[in-house]
Amino acid sequence: MTVTDPHAPALRLEGVRKVYPMADGEVVALERADLTVDRGEIVALVGPSGSGKTTLCSIAGGILRASGGTIVVGGDDISGYSPKQLTAFRRRAVGFVFQTVNLVPFLTARENLLVVDEIGARTGAPARARADQLLEELGLADRAKNLPSQLSGGQRQRVAIGRALMNDPTLVLFDEPTSALDSKLGRQVMELIRSEMTARGIAAIVVTHDERITAFADRTVHISDGVLDA
Amino acid sequence: MFLALKEMRRAKVRFTLLMAAVGLLVFLILFQQSLQNGLITAFVGAVRNQSAPVLVYSVDGRRVIQGSVIGPELEAQVRDAVAGGRVGRIGQGTFTVTADDALSEATVLGYEEEGLGSPTTLVTGRLPQGPGEAVASAADEAAGFGVGDVVRIEPGGLEVRVVGLADDIQLNVAPTLFVAYETYLDAVRSRNPDAGTPPPNVLAVEPAPGISAGDTAALINAASDDLDALTRADAAAKTPGVAQVQQSFRVIFLLYGLVVPLVTGLFFLIVTFQKAPSLTLLRAIGAPAGRLVAALLVQVLLVVGGGLAIGIGLYAPLSVQRIGGITLRFETAAVIGWSIALLVLGTASSVVSARRVVAIDPAAALGGTGMDR
Repeated sequence: MTVTDPHAPALRLEGVRKVYPMADGEVVALERADLTVDRGEIVALVGPSGSGKTTLCSIAGGILRASGGTIVVGGDDISGYSPKQLTAFRRRAVGFVFQTVNLVPFLTARENLLVVDEIGARTGAPARARADQLLEELGLADRAKNLPSQLSGGQRQRVAIGRALMNDPTLVLFDEPTSALDSKLGRQVMELIRSEMTARGIAAIVVTHDERITAFADRTVHISDGVLDA
Repeated sequence: MFLALKEMRRAKVRFTLLMAAVGLLVFLILFQQSLQNGLITAFVGAVRNQSAPVLVYSVDGRRVIQGSVIGPELEAQVRDAVAGGRVGRIGQGTFTVTADDALSEATVLGYEEEGLGSPTTLVTGRLPQGPGEAVASAADEAAGFGVGDVVRIEPGGLEVRVVGLADDIQLNVAPTLFVAYETYLDAVRSRNPDAGTPPPNVLAVEPAPGISAGDTAALINAASDDLDALTRADAAAKTPGVAQVQQSFRVIFLLYGLVVPLVTGLFFLIVTFQKAPSLTLLRAIGAPAGRLVAALLVQVLLVVGGGLAIGIGLYAPLSVQRIGGITLRFETAAVIGWSIALLVLGTASSVVSARRVVAIDPAAALGGTGMDR
């Protein structure tokens, strides 16, 4: 399935709920969330630990299935997707930069980008060209053959950003992208995210509990106890 | 293939060590398979590779040729039972001989007629055509039993000239000489001039036309409670000790058959646990579980395949050696059989790891299932 509407918002959430059944009732992780992210827009999703920001991010990225509501990514309504369809959707339409494990340790920087093609379409030469181009643009051309263990924290995050861009996504989700970096490096990474997303017109949601990150976003959305602020 | 090969390339030592471990186990399995077959062949090769379809023992002989004695009355009963078939006498004794100027023990098997107890695996020379001639076990050629060598039966000094060599005709792990029945009797008399004409140990039977070896054996056994007729294959398999040897080796092979998949399975389970974060990441960015399982299976097949190559490589040169009186052979059927079995078992052993891969929750890449956030 391909993105159906190139003019549709990058993300539209309507009344999205996530409820976990427990032995003694249920836990509401996300309560009727409404959120629209335009193409090219960078949204900072801020909230304390346990507020539901990761749940929202997971649902928007097709990693978790919502208990209710509508999720439309780039015109694709993924609300009723099966786990298999969601896997294909993630591969095709979403980029991820995670907080901790971001790279496959036994793959070089270049291979960490190419893995996106290997698990998907396997286009070969075009993917290799794109990986080389992204590494060049991210200032990592000379590190292409380095394993993650041979890269600095900032370089690893840049490789992760490159990987997130490999599939030319509609939406990139950043989960605490600077939490493992010192403040100077964190700022540099955020500047890079800002410039890369803007240059490519790709929407991004940056999950963070650090208010300083919001300076790099077009808009800040707060979440608390599973409820988005207005 | 991409993920599987890249990982193996970056963790050469780990995967090479496992491959080597599997290779050593494969070598041990194949070597012991050869040892088992060589041992059994050295025990009963003379029975297995003689020409009579049916051998008749006396019950008292307990299926040992030398322990069996067929008296005239039993012989007559056999001849009556196989009317239309052929019956020939076989005598066997263990003698001290001088071969290549050295004393050793040798088995002498005398048979009356070609086709009724003669060796079937002649590789050089010819069958005995007169007194004092013998076909010797080829495995003992270097020990003074080569074509043209003269073996002297002690203490009488009867000389027997080797005129042919046959493969796999040893009996009781000793050099074996197939001779004419008269030569056998001469050997007995040369050792003990008072022996007279000893009765045959067993009778060799060729069934009457249209009657199978099994049916012929049944007819003979029905003729007398003192007769124990066996087809050639049964006579070899039921020789005392053979079943026990096979049983012992079966237990060893069963253990190996368990150890190889266990080692492989545990290794890949540990590796799967160790790289769970990477697998979670790959699942999160859209890797189908099937693709990751396929990568795992490729690694299992490469490791087991590599282990097989190492094992067979070690086994091949050793499989053509001799250990004591036992000749080892490269067992092609065993190599193929064990290769298939270990590939299947190795693949099966990765099921637990594969289930673990399939069960990975991509949500864990974002810090769990969201409940803690």
